[in-house]
Amino acid sequence: MAAASPSRPEILSLFRSLLRTSRQFSDYNIREYSKRRTIDAFRLNKHATDPSAAFADGKSQLEVAKRQALVYSLYAPKVKSIMELNH
Amino acid sequence: MASFTASSISFTPLSSSLNLNKGLAKSSVSLSINGISFPSHGLKSVSRRFSVSCAAKPETVDKVCEIVRKQLAIQPDVAVSGDSKFAALGADSLDTVEIVMGLEEEFGISVEEESAQTIATVQDAADLIENLVEKKGSA
Repeated sequence: MAAASPSRPEILSLFRSLLRTSRQFSDYNIREYSKRRTIDAFRLNKHATDPSAAFADGKSQLEVAKRQALVYSLYAPKVKSIMELNH
Repeated sequence: MASFTASSISFTPLSSSLNLNKGLAKSSVSLSINGISFPSHGLKSVSRRFSVSCAAKPETVDKVCEIVRKQLAIQPDVAVSGDSKFAALGADSLDTVEIVMGLEEEFGISVEEESAQTIATVQDAADLIENLVEKKGSA
């Protein structure tokens, strides 16, 4: 059901969507973790010959992240993490 | 404001005499055609290439340079200017996406897919940011 091999624009688009979704988390820790994890994962697989498995994994993670961002926003704490205070 | 209006005037002479200037575009930047003498000093957009983009403010370009420098961990003695291409500075496509994300956060704008894929130099990014900030401000 997945495409034979994802093209470069598709991969970059997935990267962008994951980063955008990471930004929506209200919890500082989870936000930073998602950003870090996507960047690390994409760099790790940068030279992979067949990115389809990683790409499919990335897509399912994107779905998870979107759902979780929504759920977390419903129960966002009122107090911000200290890391977010002084710029 | 003045620079914006002036650059919009430049559109007509350039397009009407496109064929004539094609060969000259690379070397000359004199735009005194059709009687409209267009002062080419003070406007960063009049570069050697035929790009008729409006000039981006220097502060915007500086901010972009700063973000690029941080993302790519560029040595302080390497110059990053408006014409620097991301690829030349050692950025791959993943870096470019990250830089665009950083710019989105810094300026509070949202860049679309297609626009993001056409960004190749610091100046492109700065111009795109200016357009989006303007659109957002006037919305």
